[in-house]
Amino acid sequence: MLDMMVMQAGNGLALGFLYVLIALGLSIIFGLLGIVNFAHGVFFALGAYFSVTMFGVMGWWGVPVAMVIVTIIGMLTEFLLIRRLYDKDPLVSLIVTFAFSLLAEAVIRTIWGPEGQPFNAPDALSNVIIFGPFVMATYRLAVMLLAMVILASLWAFLNYTKFGRILRAGSRDPGMVGLLGINLPRVLTGTFGLGCLLAAIAGVLAAPLWTVTPSMGTAAIMPAFVIVTIGGLGSYMGAVVAGLLVGLVQSLTIQFYPEASAAAMYVLMALILLVRPRGLFGEQWERFE
Amino acid sequence: MNQLDSLNGKILVPRRRLLGGIAAGAAVSSLAMPHIARAAEPIRIGLLEAKQGPISQQAQYLQQGTFLALEQLNNELLGQPAEIVWDDEISPQAAGQNAVQLIEQNKVVALLGGALSNFALAEEAIAGQYKIPFIVNNGAAEDITGAKCNPYTFRLQPPVPVQAAAMMPFLEHIGKRWYFLSASYAFGQDIADSFKALLKTAGGVIVGDDQVPVGTADYSAFILKIRDAKPDLVIGGLTSGDLSNFLKQWNDFGMRGKIPFTEIAVGDPDLWAVGKENVSGIYTTLWWYKDPNNSPADKAFADAYQKKYNRPAADKAWMGWYTAKIMFQAINAAKSTKADAIVEALQNWHEIDGGLNVHFNKWNNQLEHRFLIVGVKKNIPDQWDYFDVLASVPGSPEAMTAAFGTAADSVCHMTAL
Repeated sequence: MLDMMVMQAGNGLALGFLYVLIALGLSIIFGLLGIVNFAHGVFFALGAYFSVTMFGVMGWWGVPVAMVIVTIIGMLTEFLLIRRLYDKDPLVSLIVTFAFSLLAEAVIRTIWGPEGQPFNAPDALSNVIIFGPFVMATYRLAVMLLAMVILASLWAFLNYTKFGRILRAGSRDPGMVGLLGINLPRVLTGTFGLGCLLAAIAGVLAAPLWTVTPSMGTAAIMPAFVIVTIGGLGSYMGAVVAGLLVGLVQSLTIQFYPEASAAAMYVLMALILLVRPRGLFGEQWERFE
Repeated sequence: MNQLDSLNGKILVPRRRLLGGIAAGAAVSSLAMPHIARAAEPIRIGLLEAKQGPISQQAQYLQQGTFLALEQLNNELLGQPAEIVWDDEISPQAAGQNAVQLIEQNKVVALLGGALSNFALAEEAIAGQYKIPFIVNNGAAEDITGAKCNPYTFRLQPPVPVQAAAMMPFLEHIGKRWYFLSASYAFGQDIADSFKALLKTAGGVIVGDDQVPVGTADYSAFILKIRDAKPDLVIGGLTSGDLSNFLKQWNDFGMRGKIPFTEIAVGDPDLWAVGKENVSGIYTTLWWYKDPNNSPADKAFADAYQKKYNRPAADKAWMGWYTAKIMFQAINAAKSTKADAIVEALQNWHEIDGGLNVHFNKWNNQLEHRFLIVGVKKNIPDQWDYFDVLASVPGSPEAMTAAFGTAADSVCHMTAL
């Protein structure tokens, strides 16, 4: 039993890292833009769909191209739609982005059809690693390692680059950032693009794991919201810890009580919010109080 | 503004008044000529198929087949224009509400649909309440033509226990330690219950039994449990997109071919979505586009579908087409759009296929029809041609009666029309 629990925990961490990537983009967008982006799952799905399409055109070189395409679509979405919501009630942004997600899913369905799109991991990663009683799909291990590299790079970007510092400052006091002569609208567009890029990366990584379907974004968005809430809205570290926690809890629940696996993360969220209403790493942000 | 203005010798009538006059004129003329007005109104058939969610990939094919059936009749029924009104199935509650809307607002004369068993059960209740003929074209749960039956609801899919029993001769020799992985809703539970009963009779052992929430994207934790339990066979009861996800991840963990997997009433699109590198198993399906025993009408349908959509017809496309064909033939045979006349025509509808009399049982409105046991080919030649037909069952009229049972076996208590 201990072997199984350790194996499930390892597997849960792999799933958790994927969740972290989805949730982090959502958290960054909320932190700086103050937008509860219900359409975040769409960019996750688009990442998967464009990787399938671009893979067909350019082979594996098409995968990074797919991420760039989704980032550009995200920035266009911010420019054409999202920026009109900055001075509106958060409920308005929730409703508008929800409507946008429905529209975008319908567009995906129209372009690619409702049927699933087959997409596989590279041949070199299409096997399993067996170590005694432990087993792990090589591709999942690769996802976990790649996610760690992306998270470390993003952390360094946010902390050690000029744009990262502007972004963090803007998340606390966008007005002051604007007064310092920084082109805030351009920063906001870039930030939304960054969030969409993270969702697209998660979508690309998920494409060989999950069947690529129009509703895959919907399946991803709820765990992402739960993770952001558990971790604390806008908190980088919170999203990482909460993502891994949700992955672990889901895997261990499947081991002992599979019927409750979908509900487990909501129970976890309820318990944490009872103790820490702002989430694990949530802080008091003046602009959201 | 004056009521009448004159400009350049022309008399101008205010636009609102003009429109009002036209509307009033149209209303009066429709009262004066009711037959003409009614003839212009098309006969409407309601179609309930999911446009989103894990079953939507099957529902798309069901919808395409349904529309194709009407196109083949030049979009006419009873010599009048006919149209299909397609509405969504998001949840059982919404499916029921949409059925009501189709009946009350769109004035449909019949319903088709029920992509998932729990949707079909909700729609069936509405069909019974509003006395509207309804054929379930995909739901396989036993209750549809069992405990929840009503005289207005008919069903195409053989019930889960019938398909499970037909599968047993192909599974018993594999081994008697079985693991159950089924979705936690009517269809999945029916599969688990049916196969557990058969396994008990065969003296087998259940080594695992997991219920999976519908819409689960990641099956890795379930797969690790199955691997640890070392069963001889895994019985799946997953639906559409969930089955695709499972099979893909089953292969990722190197389980494909190591532990056999089986499921009943799967759809071709579920397996096509996985990719030919990832698929394995034995399944039941109602129809296969390459089945050599397909009737000439089926072959003509397959050709028409291929021509229109530039891909082979999935079993679900055939199921949509076949169900619609039966409904349309019944309406034409009834020479009426009255519900009771259509129901009576459906109960009398029959055709011969493969030497079997295909018909609805009078006691539960279940269609008796052959279906297929198929195995995934070892070397799949292209993105569509996945199956070898292992058997067409039931193979004889006697076997069909034995498989589908008699009125005495049924728990359906059919009320009068």
